[in-house]
Amino acid sequence: MIARFIARRIALALVTLFVLSVLVFFCCQVLPGNVALAILGPQADPRTVNVLNHELGVDRPLLVQYSSWITSFLQGDMGRSYIYRAPVAPFILQAIGHSLKLASVAILVVVPLGILGGVVAALNVHRPLDRIISIGGVSATILPEFVSGIVLILVFGVWLRWLPISAAWPQGAGVFTQVYHLILPAMPLVLVLFGYIARMARAGMIEALDSDYTRTAVLKGLTWRLVIWRHVLRNALLPTITVIATQAGYLIGGLVVVETLFRYEGVGSLIFAAATSKDFPMLEAAVLVIGITYALATLIADLLYSILNPRIRMGSYK
Amino acid sequence: MARKIKLLDNLRSGLTALENHLVDGYIDGRVSRRELLRHGSVLGLSLPFLGRISLAAGFGAAPTLARANVKPGATIRVACHVPQGAVDPLIVGSEGGLAMIQQVGEFLCIDGSDLTLQPCLAETWKPNEDGTVWTFTLRKGVKFHSGGEMKADDVVATFDRLADPKNASNALSVFKGVLQKGATRKVDDYTIEFHLDSRSGNFPYLVSSDNYNAIILPASYAGDFEKSWDGTGPFKIDKYIPNVGASFVPNENYWGPKALPARTEFTFFRDIQPEILAFQGGQVDVINALPATAGVALLSDPGVDIISVKSSGHHALHMRCDMDPFKDPRVRRAVALCIDRDKLVKGLMKGHAVVGNDSPFAPIYPSTDPTVPQRKQDIAQAKELMKAAGMEKGFQVTLSTEQFLEIPTYVQLIQNWTKEIGIDVKLEIMDYRTYVGNAQYGTSRWLDSVMGCQVWYHRGVPNVFLGGGLTSDGPWNPSHFKNEQFDTLNKSYVAALDLEAKREASGRIERLLLDQSPVVYGYFFNHLTAIKKGVAGVQPNAMNQIFLQSAGKE
Repeated sequence: MIARFIARRIALALVTLFVLSVLVFFCCQVLPGNVALAILGPQADPRTVNVLNHELGVDRPLLVQYSSWITSFLQGDMGRSYIYRAPVAPFILQAIGHSLKLASVAILVVVPLGILGGVVAALNVHRPLDRIISIGGVSATILPEFVSGIVLILVFGVWLRWLPISAAWPQGAGVFTQVYHLILPAMPLVLVLFGYIARMARAGMIEALDSDYTRTAVLKGLTWRLVIWRHVLRNALLPTITVIATQAGYLIGGLVVVETLFRYEGVGSLIFAAATSKDFPMLEAAVLVIGITYALATLIADLLYSILNPRIRMGSYK
Repeated sequence: MARKIKLLDNLRSGLTALENHLVDGYIDGRVSRRELLRHGSVLGLSLPFLGRISLAAGFGAAPTLARANVKPGATIRVACHVPQGAVDPLIVGSEGGLAMIQQVGEFLCIDGSDLTLQPCLAETWKPNEDGTVWTFTLRKGVKFHSGGEMKADDVVATFDRLADPKNASNALSVFKGVLQKGATRKVDDYTIEFHLDSRSGNFPYLVSSDNYNAIILPASYAGDFEKSWDGTGPFKIDKYIPNVGASFVPNENYWGPKALPARTEFTFFRDIQPEILAFQGGQVDVINALPATAGVALLSDPGVDIISVKSSGHHALHMRCDMDPFKDPRVRRAVALCIDRDKLVKGLMKGHAVVGNDSPFAPIYPSTDPTVPQRKQDIAQAKELMKAAGMEKGFQVTLSTEQFLEIPTYVQLIQNWTKEIGIDVKLEIMDYRTYVGNAQYGTSRWLDSVMGCQVWYHRGVPNVFLGGGLTSDGPWNPSHFKNEQFDTLNKSYVAALDLEAKREASGRIERLLLDQSPVVYGYFFNHLTAIKKGVAGVQPNAMNQIFLQSAGKE
């Protein structure tokens, strides 16, 4: 049963990715600008612009460009960047590696912190601690990353000089050095996500605390700690897992501002640069990689959800 | 200081009539010492020789270029814009890209920050009598990083590659109507001739660092520069990572004085704000190109040295001469008279600019005619002109431009100033790519808009500003200014070989443009470089190139 569930999810993801690739291609054509001009500058000789566009193959009909790219992609070749005139795969792999590292640091910090915040708030509902966590979390979520990022850089990078401003670590750096460089850029992400996760965890906890099974568990004489750990948390965290999974796409590909501010070559800034220079092969490949990541994260969330709550799994296939 | 007639005669005896005419102008006071150095360098006279002329004429010696008193062996860390695309000398056009190729490559001559040409891979150069053939003598014993000696064949191949319309050469816009493929000819291993399509008095600038694509590459170069980084420069590539950065180490076989730094590191940024934060956080020592508006915090920081190099870069406000409401030159003049140029320089540009006079002849150009009256804000006269043109009730117009540095603030100021004469300017501010479009007529807001504002970067000579931006057949003439008299004057300016003839032509062009005012040139911005105190010897120029061979830490 679980195999059918996974197979169906993968089939749906493939259709989604195909539609996504078509959408990205045609949206890319609508974007303003000219590939050769993006490289040469606005005061390039028109003859040069035409020759370069021809060399790059961007003067071919749209369908020819798309079919040529999709055929190569399906054969495992992600294509060549118009701008860098080199295969896009190394760029994408390096960027996705960077993004995963940053996302991992942020998730490792924010998930336990957010859940703890939500649990503490729910256990102190309508008390000052609950208000501090709830209002503080929402305020941190609303604060744009470029504002919190600049403030954090000024405090920890410029004034105190405790943390490096640039997320790019030196060549050959070890794991600890890499993590050290990622602390500061992860902090704005933690601030943004803490509010979401804490609120969802709080809402789930309040609902679970108010449920019949919790009452039964308490009346059975279980200790409060055991009730929370075995019965409340397990049910309360289901919606929180979905929230975390839906943020995976954002954490991998949506961090343009944070990546620019901290000079980090992740997928977000790669996509942004590719879109502004109409580098279609780079844009298409990077977006599809994000799409695959997002589909995988959603699949994992669904699986976790169904493992934690068998009613959902069974309900889907009855 | 007394004039040494005999010495002066001896020095002048070997000069051509053109060169002697320049020296006459200097002795008679028509040409300043700075102009003697600048224009003498264009004609191929060396700076030490010009210094001896100055001394013999009784005006003192020319200033010498001394190395800064720094310790060798430092690592110099530079914040730099990310190169747009692959680094290839043939096509490179972005600020970051041209700074990269210039670290390993060299030009025949270098356009200094004061526009004086200095010999580099060419030791001397001379025009023929009518300026149609320029002969360059190459430096001997110069080695490429790959080991071969640089000779005439390499230079010929480099310029043939750049002038070939079949190549995607970014230098074609510079060589259009001047140099064709096959016109660079080898005389011997160390002598080449450039046979020009027409006379050009500024030609050495076109083969200097001013034409940033023109680094000399081996004749065997077949593309893929990022694999070889083969040049003759004082630095060799150490590592280049696209989008991340590059590092360079000294070239031990360099023909000139060895580079002082043990290593230079360039870190790429996509935006200026992170550059400034990295500088403040001590992660870089130098910001190569610092915009005045974004860099305010650094301009007054006592821990920062700012090198402010005058440039001919500007923000051109164009008005369509072939469309209402700007068909009448009186209306265009009225708009130009609304602009408070002093406020632009002091307020908008924080003093790091000089006022413009509605022509591309920036004050730094030696040929700019200082006798042309400076246009100033005069609202009363502007109102009179509007009345004379039948526009006293004013009109509404859309000003299109790009979201780039201080341009949005500049056009807002224009909006406020022109309100005083009844013009209701609606601003249409868009991203750079939407504004520039395909950079061809009919598919570009920049070239098609009734009124617009666009950045033009520094050039050592105004040829591209004039020929590309203002002539009837110019490819980037957004004002659609078509004026036969201007076209003729432009030709005579470009062809003129001696400084006074150039100044005569430019004076006439400047007066014509003041009368016609197709474009408002409000100010020419300086190129700013921020350097951490304790770092010295960094030599930037207005082209965004940065020379680090003399850099070190005190």
